[in-house]
Amino acid sequence: MLRTFKIEKYHAGIVAESTLFKALQYLDRENIETPFLLVDSEKVREKASLIGRRITNSKLFYAVKANPDIEILRFLSGLDSGFEIASEGELDMLSKIGVKPSRIISSNPVKTLKFLNCAASYGVNHFSFDSREEVEKLAGLLPHCNVYVRLSVPNEGSEWPLSKKFGVELREAASLLSYAKDKGLNPVGITFHVGSQCTNIYNWNIALDKAKALWDIAKKKGLKLRLLNIGGGYPIRYTKNVIDIETIERNVNSLIYERFPDDVEIHIEPGRAVVGDAGIFVTTVIGKARRDDEDWVYIDVGVFNGLMESIGGIKYSYIVESHKQARHRKQWTIAGPSCDSFDVIDKNVALPEPQVGKLILILSSGAYTVSYASEFNGFSVPKTVLI
Amino acid sequence: MIKFTERAPYAPVEYLYDVDEILFKGKSKFQEIMVIRNPHYGRMLILDDVVQITERDEFFYHEMLTHVVMHANPSPKKVIVIGGGDGGVVREVLKHGSVEKVFFVEIDEEVINISKRFFPTVSCGIDDPRVEIKIMDGADFVAKRKSSDIDAVIIDSTDIIGFARSLFTTDFFNAVKNCLTENGMFVTHTESLHFHKDMVVEIQEVLKKVFPLVDLYTAPLATYPGNWWAFAVASKGPSPREMRHAFDIKTRYYSDEIHQQSFVPKGFYEKLMQRKLEW
Repeated sequence: MLRTFKIEKYHAGIVAESTLFKALQYLDRENIETPFLLVDSEKVREKASLIGRRITNSKLFYAVKANPDIEILRFLSGLDSGFEIASEGELDMLSKIGVKPSRIISSNPVKTLKFLNCAASYGVNHFSFDSREEVEKLAGLLPHCNVYVRLSVPNEGSEWPLSKKFGVELREAASLLSYAKDKGLNPVGITFHVGSQCTNIYNWNIALDKAKALWDIAKKKGLKLRLLNIGGGYPIRYTKNVIDIETIERNVNSLIYERFPDDVEIHIEPGRAVVGDAGIFVTTVIGKARRDDEDWVYIDVGVFNGLMESIGGIKYSYIVESHKQARHRKQWTIAGPSCDSFDVIDKNVALPEPQVGKLILILSSGAYTVSYASEFNGFSVPKTVLI
Repeated sequence: MIKFTERAPYAPVEYLYDVDEILFKGKSKFQEIMVIRNPHYGRMLILDDVVQITERDEFFYHEMLTHVVMHANPSPKKVIVIGGGDGGVVREVLKHGSVEKVFFVEIDEEVINISKRFFPTVSCGIDDPRVEIKIMDGADFVAKRKSSDIDAVIIDSTDIIGFARSLFTTDFFNAVKNCLTENGMFVTHTESLHFHKDMVVEIQEVLKKVFPLVDLYTAPLATYPGNWWAFAVASKGPSPREMRHAFDIKTRYYSDEIHQQSFVPKGFYEKLMQRKLEW
């Protein structure tokens, strides 16, 4: 039977028409148990080809943590994408699909010994660092490997700030580059991260100013750098419009042009921007309740099995399976299936009346969803289906 | 002067029209209906804030949607028109003398009434005795057909993933195939090659899973965002590129020349389908 969804005009600003069309075709055709994540391969292709297009001499390294589904990795590998990883598990996936080590980098500044051992034997040769201890670990296991230092930069305006946990200030970064050289490593560059889902375009300005200052200090110290890894952070649309990738990249490219040598190599390592808006979570309404003055709807995916970022501030857009003519909307609190009271995805979401047993589609949910999911309370980790 | 801003959900542009007069504004069971008069386009029919037809240029769309499949058939007799409550496609279908029966299936009766009231030159064929009006979902109508006696199924719908979704599913395409004669053909608009290239390709792909032969032609339309409008045509075998009877009807844009010209070149089609065209 054909499912009908209440698709509203604002959804057009969030999800591509062809992505939604493909997802609906899939739902008409297949009858598999929810919850699961549909990822539109054509959208992934479009984003992968868009990212880096406006930045001279740049290369994309997909942040595998965003969604490590093997079919997505295989698809991206076919598009000649590089990969950014942090663990032996991620490396294992890439080795399964035959990704060459030259297309793999690791930008986690603090890596496990187990991962470094695996990376060494596989031949991975680009690593970030931001401590003396990391230099020593790398020098022990991967002598002469290429390293780039993680600079701390402001993360204001990012939904998911990262800078407090990682990165060092200028002076420390400069001395770490020297230290790496002293220990026999090959210091090649600088990295920073403006924060995931960064909607503040000036973060890149500040970050590149700081990177330029470090570049100059390094040059004075006799270190010849060649690589600038600008992290990720490109935002996608969840509930509202965001600055587009072309605008960010045009800005970044001119900032780089003004500050760095012409032959500087640029690495970009987005995850969310590659798969986020290609993903549609397919969930089922499992219950409804009215508590005090609040209407609650319970769905089979929640904070613990896919929507962890909702508690960090990501607000999703929803498409409800309902009659074509359903015009009335009211405010809903949306909760997940587990027994934990923490498992509340969103509040005050205007939706047409959901029906128990019917579907709710969650838009822009391709990144940092299933990769965060646990089996808490016995709910299994949802599958990703590349369509 | 009052202005009307069109809000086509998936278009990256908005068109702004001068409004001389609002002739009608109301709500049917399914959608908001508005008729305005614009100094250039004349009367315009607007459904849910999206321009459907204008007096001045409606013939481009109606002729191109209708006459390609009608000429690719040696002698089209029975035709199903789904949507197009304004009656424009029905008017064009009736220009073919071979036509004996037109099933005109429109879900929203109010659109027919409004068209009869405000667009007499468009709706003029609706009351022809050969036309049987069915007020229902076109997908249901086609699914219930038992015999394979239809020469052309023509879809003139609104948005593909919203209101008109039932007319773009694999089930529906299968039902269409079942009701077509061996020379019968199916045609539907698939939006703009400028703005909705992915949709054009997706629909071609879905149709290819059902029909042995699927093709693509285009027409320039001033009032639809993206303008370079694509039409998907599907058949059980015969190519829609070939005309199978003489062009002897009165039209303003379509002609035998335009028929040949409107199909995209084969090389271009291959590149499009392999998603090698980037814009």
